[in-house]
Amino acid sequence: MDKREKDIEKLKDYKYGFSTDIENIRAPRGLNEDVIKFISNIKKEPKWMLDFRLKAFERFKQLKEPDWQKPKYPKIDYQDLYYYSAPKSMNDKPKSLDELDPKLLETYKKLGIPLQEQARLNGIAVDAVFDSVSVATTFKDELTKQGIIFCSMSEAIQKHPDLVKKYLGTVIPTTDHFFATLNSAVFTDGSFVYIPEGIKCPMELSTYFRINASETGQFERTLIIADKGSYVSYLEGCTAPMRDENQLHAANVELIALDDAEIKYSTVQNWYPGDENGKGGIYNFVTKRGLCKGKNSKISWTQVETGSAITWKYPSCILKGDNSIGEFYSIAITNNHQKADTGTKMIHLGKNTKSKIISKGISAGFSDMTYRGLVDINSKAKNSSNYTQCDSLLMGNKCGAHTVPYIKNKNFDSNIAHEATTSKISEEQLHYCQQRGLNSEEAVGLIVNGFCKEVLQQLPMEFAVEAQKLVGISLEGSVG
Amino acid sequence: MLKINNLSANIEDKSILKDFSLNINPGEVHAIMGPNGSGKSTLSNILSGKKGYEISGEVLFENNNLFELETEERAHKGIFLAFQYPLEIPGVNTNIFLKTSLNAIRKAKGEKELDAIEFLKLVKEKARELKFDEEKLNRQLNVGFSGGEKKKNEILQMSMLSPKLSILDETDSGLDIDALKVVSDGVNTLRSKDNSFLIITHYQRLLDYIKPDFVHVLMNGKIIKSGGPELALELEKKGYENFN
Amino acid sequence: MTEQIKTDFEKIVKASAFSEKDVELKKMHLNKFLKTGFPTRKLENWKFSDLSQIIKKNIGELSFYNDYSFPNKIDTSIFVEGLEHNKIVFINGRVEKVDFTHEDHDKIEINDDFKFVNRSEDNNSLLSLNNAFTNKCYKITVKKNYSLKKPLVVYHSTSNKITSRNINLKLEFQLEQNSSLRLIDLFNDRAENNFINIFYNFDLKENAILKNYKIDKVQNKNIRYSYNNIEQDDNSVSETFILSSGSNFSKNEINCNLKGEYSSAFVNGIFSLNDGQHHEVRTIINHLVENTKSYQLIKSVLGKNSKSAYQGKIFVDSKAQKTDGYQLSKAILLDETSEFNAKPELEIYADDVKCSHGSASGSLDENSIFYLMSRGLNYQQSKELLINGFLLDVVEKITDTEIKNLVKNMIGLKE
Repeated sequence: MDKREKDIEKLKDYKYGFSTDIENIRAPRGLNEDVIKFISNIKKEPKWMLDFRLKAFERFKQLKEPDWQKPKYPKIDYQDLYYYSAPKSMNDKPKSLDELDPKLLETYKKLGIPLQEQARLNGIAVDAVFDSVSVATTFKDELTKQGIIFCSMSEAIQKHPDLVKKYLGTVIPTTDHFFATLNSAVFTDGSFVYIPEGIKCPMELSTYFRINASETGQFERTLIIADKGSYVSYLEGCTAPMRDENQLHAANVELIALDDAEIKYSTVQNWYPGDENGKGGIYNFVTKRGLCKGKNSKISWTQVETGSAITWKYPSCILKGDNSIGEFYSIAITNNHQKADTGTKMIHLGKNTKSKIISKGISAGFSDMTYRGLVDINSKAKNSSNYTQCDSLLMGNKCGAHTVPYIKNKNFDSNIAHEATTSKISEEQLHYCQQRGLNSEEAVGLIVNGFCKEVLQQLPMEFAVEAQKLVGISLEGSVG
Repeated sequence: MLKINNLSANIEDKSILKDFSLNINPGEVHAIMGPNGSGKSTLSNILSGKKGYEISGEVLFENNNLFELETEERAHKGIFLAFQYPLEIPGVNTNIFLKTSLNAIRKAKGEKELDAIEFLKLVKEKARELKFDEEKLNRQLNVGFSGGEKKKNEILQMSMLSPKLSILDETDSGLDIDALKVVSDGVNTLRSKDNSFLIITHYQRLLDYIKPDFVHVLMNGKIIKSGGPELALELEKKGYENFN
Repeated sequence: MTEQIKTDFEKIVKASAFSEKDVELKKMHLNKFLKTGFPTRKLENWKFSDLSQIIKKNIGELSFYNDYSFPNKIDTSIFVEGLEHNKIVFINGRVEKVDFTHEDHDKIEINDDFKFVNRSEDNNSLLSLNNAFTNKCYKITVKKNYSLKKPLVVYHSTSNKITSRNINLKLEFQLEQNSSLRLIDLFNDRAENNFINIFYNFDLKENAILKNYKIDKVQNKNIRYSYNNIEQDDNSVSETFILSSGSNFSKNEINCNLKGEYSSAFVNGIFSLNDGQHHEVRTIINHLVENTKSYQLIKSVLGKNSKSAYQGKIFVDSKAQKTDGYQLSKAILLDETSEFNAKPELEIYADDVKCSHGSASGSLDENSIFYLMSRGLNYQQSKELLINGFLLDVVEKITDTEIKNLVKNMIGLKE
């Protein structure tokens, strides 16, 4: 077998395509009040939390599934899904890593995240989410000393109810769109972060999401609050085992930055994209929204989206505080039959607010990529500005690239600048690299990484290397 | 080392090279001189494997049929082309590009790949030799470089990759006298009994600095005369029009 | 509205001499319109301009009845002076004059009994409305190898007693091989509060050249919608220039199908708005085959309480390699009550293409004003000079010198 054939062979076996055999506890199939009560009950939630869920469910019943997005998908039967599934061995929560089910640890090892070592080596506190329940949190002690709270959402509901009550649902209300509201009703677990006033979080906080049990929708809920003058960088990485059935993932992520606070949220998403014929793969319908609530606050989203059959997400910033800043850096790569409709919304409400959008879309194979974005400068947002650059790279003429920016400038003191280009890798560039000894795939990888550079630079070091590799791997087999 | 036998090349029915033959032995420096449109760049494009030409004839490089090798395989075997117009590649760091390229070639030769430290040591050394601004190594490849800087970058790459056969396609054009000196020093350093050069140029100027063993005059796709270095001077005096 | 529109429809049918077949057809279009009514912001195309609301707010109840039985008197004072031209005069929904005095008559064919066939704009309820109520559809054919010697000016006017009326116009142009036409639309409304609904269809055969200049300059309180569908064969060129300034509300749509190789389309536009005006330009350029080009440049200068919107879409089919598609929209907001909206869209399925769009909006550059003032100009002069320069760029894109100068004079631009 020559190298190329081997590469293809390798691709066929999705690197993270295994599943761990662990007995699950499941909520009964379907979606109704009883299931929501079951979830709330098994998590021993207080009444206000159950009320929050039920209120969302009431609203959900009145909502229609949206259909304006470009990627279409077969109808999901929401009554045919399981809304809660936890590894059985989690009934008695482990107090430390040593108590974990060895199979779980084995799974993480295959994923390339040996929890203890890597966490220590990288100085990252890892809050690993396995299916729906957080199984381990490390570095807690060190963080606790500074007053930083980094725990699972379930734990936060128990131990920090005041904070959760005060902020949960303030950025993504229970009355939001279809999938966000569904999440509010049935969310199982996720991460909770609180950085107290004046504290710069000393390490990158990180969560790895996985989808494991088949036919289980995943409904993560993450809430990050950066109090006055604080700083936090949060990393989210995702890999999922291979499944034939399409799996729905509808997470909600809420970020709140108070006066002078900064939140940096980075994602590398590499969920199973389906096979080369478009069979299987994850539906990634995520709602991510950040509120720059205080003056001089800043929220920065960085995402590298290479996985999932369908990606549909718009990490957004509401710039409410005066002088606040919103940023969105995105690389989205689609190959084979993948579809992505992604972008951001920058809503300028406060004075002197600034936003920046850098989006790089690469489509190959039979895939389809849409950048959809909104920049809205309100009439009160004096002296604000936005700069947007979205570039698309097409490889072949079986794929599509679609750029749909919405621009609304209602303030004469404010500037919006938008640039978009579409291009391909030129024969000359390829020839040049090949003349210097690279094969065509290496050359493409190199050029594509160059194309994405502005975004890759935004990622924390540990992530940047992984992301760079991912960019190359995602496009393997796309040049002939 | 390089044997070109009866090479003809057409592009969209237009004949550019006609029955072109040339033999380069190890250690030799050949200069090909010719006016615009004589087929000089086509020759370097074909030798480096650029697509889009209809070709007949035979080119052997160390007894390998060149036309069976992909562009990068030719590079692996030791053919280097200094481009007439080096490409700008946005976002790609020059150092990273060079390291990737060097290691690809070393790997193909069965040599050990260099790690970052070894590579940096080497590239800095070479950059110093060639008076190439080290700061530029951390910039995007050729983006915003002046014409002279781009050409120097080509020579830096050449000296990093230590090819057996270097083809210099009008490397002298657009260079000032200092840059010309740097470029020719780079070439002369690489000269050895094993390494050969094919220098393609319009003017005799470069040959003052790089003394060729053979000079060939190319007109309308054919070598009309071959000789020693004195031929270049004769050509310079008479001009292409009166040369025949 | 439904009752009113049905009654008006019956009234027109009774008063006119439409054939039974025509009446059936018109009825079908009427029902189609009634199903959806005027477009609202729920439709993606009307996101920035809710026509249903705009009509309700500015006109209230519309009347759809027009008496087509008597000719209207032509007010010759509206004719452009100093420019020899052919004329079509359109008053109160009736075409009163079609005059090609400057041309060889056997080179131009005029058919006033043309049946408009629905094309790509099939789902447009305003087209259904137009089909149901338009009096006559004229088809003008420019014969092979003939270039009109003089431009054709279409005068759009309403006598001042007409108010709260819906007025429809439909024209069909066919430009045969190697022919060319310069067409100026001049909007000269005396009346107020009418909804004017215009559909043009252009069929450009091989090597045909169309230049269409739409001039809406005179301040008026009408609501105007205009739709150009342009079909282009090999090597044909279309140039559309829009001066969007006079009406209370105006939306110009250009749908262009580049279906012949080496065909190209140019759309250039100026919005110059004030006092509660709200204008939109929406373009869709469909690159359907190889080697086609499109260029668009739209600039807005927005005064008090005014709003402009630009929606521009470039579509590139997977067959359409070597497409060049370029669009740029720029806006200057002069007042805190002005608003600019844009949706520049690219939808691309071929890889060997060059497509880009850019959009920039903001206030006048204070540094430039400062520079000019340091050379002795006052603030107002500096401002005017900058706006002048900003807009001149678009007018300079007009390829016909005679018409370029006419437009410059009309808007008082200095070089």
